[in-house]
Amino acid sequence: MALKGAWRRTRPLDRLLVALLLILCGVLLVWLRPGPPGSRVVVEREGTVIFTAPLDVERTVELAGRLGPTRLAIRQGSVCILDSPCPRKICIGMGSITRTGELLACVPNGLLVRIDGGPGVQPSEPAYDLLSR
Amino acid sequence: MIRFPRFLHLLALLPVLLILGGCPGRSEAPAAVHRSRILMGTVIEITAYGPEQKPLERAVGQAFAEMARIENLMTPHQPQSDVAHLSAADGPLQVSPETAAVIAAGLKVGAASDGAFDMGLGRLKDLWDIEGEHPRIPGAEELRAALVGTGAGDLRLAGRTVTKRDPRLLVDLGGIAKGYAVDRAIAVLQAAGVKHAAVNAGGDIRLLGGRGDRPWKIGIQHPRRKDAILATLELANTAVVTSGDYERFFERDGVRYHHLFDPKTGQPARLCRSVTIVAPEAMLADALATAVFVLGPVAGPELLQRFPGCEGLIVAADGSTVTTPGLAGKVTWR
Repeated sequence: MALKGAWRRTRPLDRLLVALLLILCGVLLVWLRPGPPGSRVVVEREGTVIFTAPLDVERTVELAGRLGPTRLAIRQGSVCILDSPCPRKICIGMGSITRTGELLACVPNGLLVRIDGGPGVQPSEPAYDLLSR
Repeated sequence: MIRFPRFLHLLALLPVLLILGGCPGRSEAPAAVHRSRILMGTVIEITAYGPEQKPLERAVGQAFAEMARIENLMTPHQPQSDVAHLSAADGPLQVSPETAAVIAAGLKVGAASDGAFDMGLGRLKDLWDIEGEHPRIPGAEELRAALVGTGAGDLRLAGRTVTKRDPRLLVDLGGIAKGYAVDRAIAVLQAAGVKHAAVNAGGDIRLLGGRGDRPWKIGIQHPRRKDAILATLELANTAVVTSGDYERFFERDGVRYHHLFDPKTGQPARLCRSVTIVAPEAMLADALATAVFVLGPVAGPELLQRFPGCEGLIVAADGSTVTTPGLAGKVTWR
């Protein structure tokens, strides 16, 4: 009710401002959409790369963090955190990431996991548009 | 009520204008439609670019409808099709102008290739059943019987009237009708005002314009490595068709038996692994791909010289490659 009343009291220019802000949100949503599928996983601790591997080779690794080892799994082109010594396990709850630019972070253990296009990979330029076979 | 000074309203507009105006790649990006449908026994993919989404959607829908119409006309699997009527006919038969045009084009390639392309191999195809559930290696006598009446002059065309030399001849337009359907789809898109599009019927491709402001990159399937491409071609406004021994085949005692038959022997042709033809039209490229595959890496390029604007990339049986001069600078090997 209070919102309805406030809306009624606005002038056309105020409404235009609200509309423009909504458009801005929409534009930002499109602009900041997830990138293309990545090719490598990169793990950093305190700004230093401590591990990197291709996303298409399945493996499980243990990486040392501030609090102890974090277990990371690469499966079917995605990466997720299986286990971590951090108290709230938020990083495990973040699930899997697959696309260039996506991140997993374990703040207590000081580990940042991100997906890269990999060296020489141009995700926006595929090898071909169509396949003749 | 909170009253904003007027200039604050204008300031609020600023980020919106900056974002809309500062991202030309996004705000001016053309509409794109990519649709797939199963027709003619394969997956047909149509990609089209244009200024507006709805007209593009409509045009792509019309292109699919046109391909379905051609399928109904030229499939051997529907009793009402021209091809089914023709196979059943024991005398001269009038076919639709389009079927007549496709048969005329096929006869031209057949004559120029000394019979390497033959539209009368329906019985041979049924005998091998390579695309069916029970493929088998026929005996010599069976092959001889299946080839009776085939070869030069097996189909004669006068206007729209087709006459078979032998009433038992089963007509098979499988090596050319798909290309024609692709050409028709492009014609429909063009008539609807589309300037940039691609129609891909299981590897039979026709390109209208480029992919926006650059050529299309066409990957050519590697004939022996399933998940690899052999090369890419940068092309626009043309057709590309590949025929290979890896598409439909079975193996027995280490020998590969595939669906591209040598009309002279009734056996799978053995001189090539794959042939890619670049031609002005997909129908022509389709028929030439089969003919060149049968003729091989030496006689095949000689045939292409008789068809202006047609080029080829041939992978011979030993894995060596031959490209015709017109593809120079357009092939990137992988």
